[in-house]
Amino acid sequence: VTSAPIVFVVDDDPSVRSSLKFLLSTVGLQVESFGSADTFLHRKPPDAPSCLVLDVRLPGSSGLDFQRELAARHICIPIVFLTGHGDIPMSVRAIKAGAVEFLTKPFRDQDLLDAVRIALERDRARREKEKEVTDLQQRFDSLTSREQQVISMLVSGMLNKQIAAQLGTAESTVKVQRSRAMGKMHAESLVDLVRMIGKIKGPSEKAS
Amino acid sequence: MTSETQDAKQPVDPLDLRNLVETMPLPAVCALPDGSVEFVNRAWQEYTGCSLEQLSGWLWQTTIHPDDVARFIDEWTVALAGGTSFQTEARIRRADGQCHWFLIRKVLAVTPTRGRESLQRTLIACEDIHERRQAEVKLQQSEALLLAFFENSPNLIFVKNPQSRYVYANKAFKKAFHISGEVKGKTDDELFSAEQAAAFQAVDRRVLHTGLLMKYEDVALYEDGLHTRIVQKFPLFNAEGEIYAIGGAVTDITDRKREESALRYSEENYRLVVETAPDAVISIDERGAILFANPATARIFGYDPTELMGKPLTVLMPEFLRKLHEKGFSRYLATGQRHINWQGTELTALRKNGQEFPVEISFGELSRDGHRVFTGFIRDISERKQAEEMRAARARQIAVRADVSMAFGKEESLKTILAECSEAIVRHLDAAFARIWTLSDDGEMLELQASAGMYTNLGGPHSHIPMGQFKIGMIAQERKPHLTNDVFNDPRISDRAWAEKEGMTSFAGYPLTVGDRTIGVLAMFSRKPFTPETTETLASAADLIAQGIERKYAEDRLRDSERSLRHLTETIPQMLWSAEVDGAVDYCNRRVLDYTGLPAEQVHRAGWMNAVHQDDSEQMARAWKRAVSSGEPFQYEFRFLRSADHTYRWCVSSALPLRDREGRIIKWFGSVVDLHDWKEAQQALQMTQIELARVSRLTTMGELAASIAHEVNQPLTAVINNSSACLRLLAANNLKPEVLRRALEEIVADGTRASAVIARIRAFIKKAPAEPSELDVNEVIQEVLALAGRELVENRVLVECHLAKFLPLVLADRVQLQQVLLNLIMNGIEAMIAVTDRPRALWVESRVDDSGEILVAVRDSGTGLGAEADRVFTPFFTTKANGMGMGLSISRSLVENHAGRLWAAPNFPIGAVFSFTLPVSAGSPA
Repeated sequence: VTSAPIVFVVDDDPSVRSSLKFLLSTVGLQVESFGSADTFLHRKPPDAPSCLVLDVRLPGSSGLDFQRELAARHICIPIVFLTGHGDIPMSVRAIKAGAVEFLTKPFRDQDLLDAVRIALERDRARREKEKEVTDLQQRFDSLTSREQQVISMLVSGMLNKQIAAQLGTAESTVKVQRSRAMGKMHAESLVDLVRMIGKIKGPSEKAS
Repeated sequence: MTSETQDAKQPVDPLDLRNLVETMPLPAVCALPDGSVEFVNRAWQEYTGCSLEQLSGWLWQTTIHPDDVARFIDEWTVALAGGTSFQTEARIRRADGQCHWFLIRKVLAVTPTRGRESLQRTLIACEDIHERRQAEVKLQQSEALLLAFFENSPNLIFVKNPQSRYVYANKAFKKAFHISGEVKGKTDDELFSAEQAAAFQAVDRRVLHTGLLMKYEDVALYEDGLHTRIVQKFPLFNAEGEIYAIGGAVTDITDRKREESALRYSEENYRLVVETAPDAVISIDERGAILFANPATARIFGYDPTELMGKPLTVLMPEFLRKLHEKGFSRYLATGQRHINWQGTELTALRKNGQEFPVEISFGELSRDGHRVFTGFIRDISERKQAEEMRAARARQIAVRADVSMAFGKEESLKTILAECSEAIVRHLDAAFARIWTLSDDGEMLELQASAGMYTNLGGPHSHIPMGQFKIGMIAQERKPHLTNDVFNDPRISDRAWAEKEGMTSFAGYPLTVGDRTIGVLAMFSRKPFTPETTETLASAADLIAQGIERKYAEDRLRDSERSLRHLTETIPQMLWSAEVDGAVDYCNRRVLDYTGLPAEQVHRAGWMNAVHQDDSEQMARAWKRAVSSGEPFQYEFRFLRSADHTYRWCVSSALPLRDREGRIIKWFGSVVDLHDWKEAQQALQMTQIELARVSRLTTMGELAASIAHEVNQPLTAVINNSSACLRLLAANNLKPEVLRRALEEIVADGTRASAVIARIRAFIKKAPAEPSELDVNEVIQEVLALAGRELVENRVLVECHLAKFLPLVLADRVQLQQVLLNLIMNGIEAMIAVTDRPRALWVESRVDDSGEILVAVRDSGTGLGAEADRVFTPFFTTKANGMGMGLSISRSLVENHAGRLWAAPNFPIGAVFSFTLPVSAGSPA
């Protein structure tokens, strides 16, 4: 289910670009490089763990601006910043905004490779987490609306008879619907179900 | 003659003819066409004492005087043969041997009609004209005698016909009047001055009119002095009693005059002279009472002589002379002292009708019967006076015109000239004062230019007279003279009280006109009435003055324009020259001579080449030659020797040809401009620009460090990356040679690149930054605009400055301030590069803001900042493809280092405005 990770390099300096590609390739990483932020944006987002090695100084906009733009577009790609002359406030801002690392050129090869590994790991983790939620959501979506209602009430701590009373149905009916929904959701216990629903509701609530 | 022709047609019998001839009382002959005589009549025979036989045939001709016979026969033969008329005079011998003059003429020609007598007969009659002939001879002799007498007479004798043409004048006459040629047929006008001729002819007329002898005394100037002459003119009557000529005799009585006191005319002579004298002769006694007056007195004074008897002489004098006369006369009687000259004194006399007239008086004194009698000869000299007046007037006119012309001939100002003109008028025309006004350029005002005589002040109320006002303005407007001899009653004379007080009687004002333009007024006041001659003189003077002023104006204009042109050519701070068609320089202005230090003649032709640097001269001469032959405009940059410091300086010489209408070059006009200072300034400016660029990099070193590090770190990073990668592959035993080679190639390239960056950085850092000093921001703005000038022009950006005057100084580093301004201006220019639909305008403003700081704003009409206004100062933010994104950031830190602020705002309606403030220097007089 996981394809090979990709490292994206954005630097306007061709020789830096090519040397980065060479270096990263020595550890078996797949590298794609771009001369500007714009050309990178035109690439279809990959279905694989990836990270971005980004030069702070970019033609047309600064690297920090680009970081903000990506966030605005909900493109959650981990970023490793490279700078010719970085100062502390600049690096703090970058890290706060979610950068994995802020490396000053020239850097040790291991530092870059470590940063890239961390970034890729973080992206893989993020992708896995995203995948679980997606699964749960799919299971949840497969429930009937009455089952979804019953589960939601269960998760909020209501008892069977309370649910039955509220829905105007028999307690036994609620019990059947509950066990059927639990089965569809692959929940082993009520606690398990509550955890699953929590994962789904988080983002969806934010979105609504 | 007429009867002869008629008779000729009538047939006459010869016998009848013979009878007819016989009965004629005059000697007569009948001749045949061959000239022979058929018969002679009795009267002829008796006269000559010859028989018919002795006279018939050709014999009768023997009676003709031998001196006359040849001529006679010629005429006789011709007349008889041709049947023409015949008349001649000849002497014919009488019986007693004496010859008498006869008039011999053809009386009758008869053509017989009866057969046998076929020859024509001619009847000749002879008339004894001996007595008449002798009288003629006598007359001729007497005429010759008279002529000799006249010719040799010491008197001047002449005869004129009634038309006053000379018929005769003797030698003495010619000699006296210095006439060398023929007098006969001429008039006095042709021989004498107009005045003299008029006087002579006046007497002639009088002689013709009265038929009387005119006799008068005349004084004339000869080489040896004054001569007194008695002139007598008398009519010559013909038999019919008509005057056919005027005789004249002039007797020089000078010698006699000299002895006059000793001479006494006889009573008769005296009376004769007196009675016939054309002059009034008046005698008075010791009391001044008139004893006697001759007939001429009546004509001259209008009094009958008898009417004057016993009256005082003073009645013949005008009022003002009477007292003088009485005093003088009584003094003379008492002391013998004369109060006037007794001979030929000119005085004014009074006619009976009250008219005053000029007279010439000569008088003498004699004692008779113990009484003293004074006799005066009084001659009316009105005509002479008039003639004199006319001559004097003409002389005045000539004098005025001459003076006016002379004044205008001088190289003086118009005022001076007109002053001389007015003085001439006063002097010659006896004016009280004369003035000249000229019309102002706008034609509104008459300005007093000259005043001579009793008033010479050019100021006062008459100095400016509006056109059309007062008498002067009206004269100018109407362009008509105004003349009056009666100023008291003239409506145009405003100040009559003044005129009366000053005794002014006359005023004359003339417009000064040229064509139909009025250019001024000439006016004069006089205490004496103007005569027509005076006004004529004034008119002619006005005319001359007007022409003179006009010419002067034209000259002044020409001179001004010529002077200003010459002045221009001589003072223009440029070297000017001209050359002939062949390229030979023929004129150089002062500047050229001053510059080269060469005299004109050494610069002319090709002499100027001597001042050209030897490295340039050959090329330049070629270029000039090419221009001259092609007619193309000439321009050449060369080094020219300036004499002042003896250095060669860069100059540019340019020349254009002047062409005539046909396009032929007639002249070259050129200039030489010393470019040296300009060139040096250009170089200095360039140096400044380079310096500024260098220094600006230097001063922003701190800020640029980031950028520089970036520049260096880029290749360094690549080198390290490539090397690390190789090491990793080597460690993994996975390094392929071609991979290694490519990596090493890149490492070398990047290493080289890094060292180049280092070299550039080293070049940056050479000089220390300038010290802060007190600066005038406006001055810095001007410097920076000059530096950015090329960019502004190339990008077609219009700059508008709104710089506050007298800005307080700021304490700042000049170069850093320049850097900031240059950065803002360059940003502005670049922001407008994309603008094509509106003017690219850049406004630079300086002022003191509300907080008392100096504010400088740079506005552009470019694309504007949009939402990024706040971020433009962020390092590494750039909207430019090749910008580092540091300029505004650096500018802001520079301004902040000077305790100022720098910010950006949208400009209205479009574009951006970047402003910064700087605190006023503590030492500045705020």
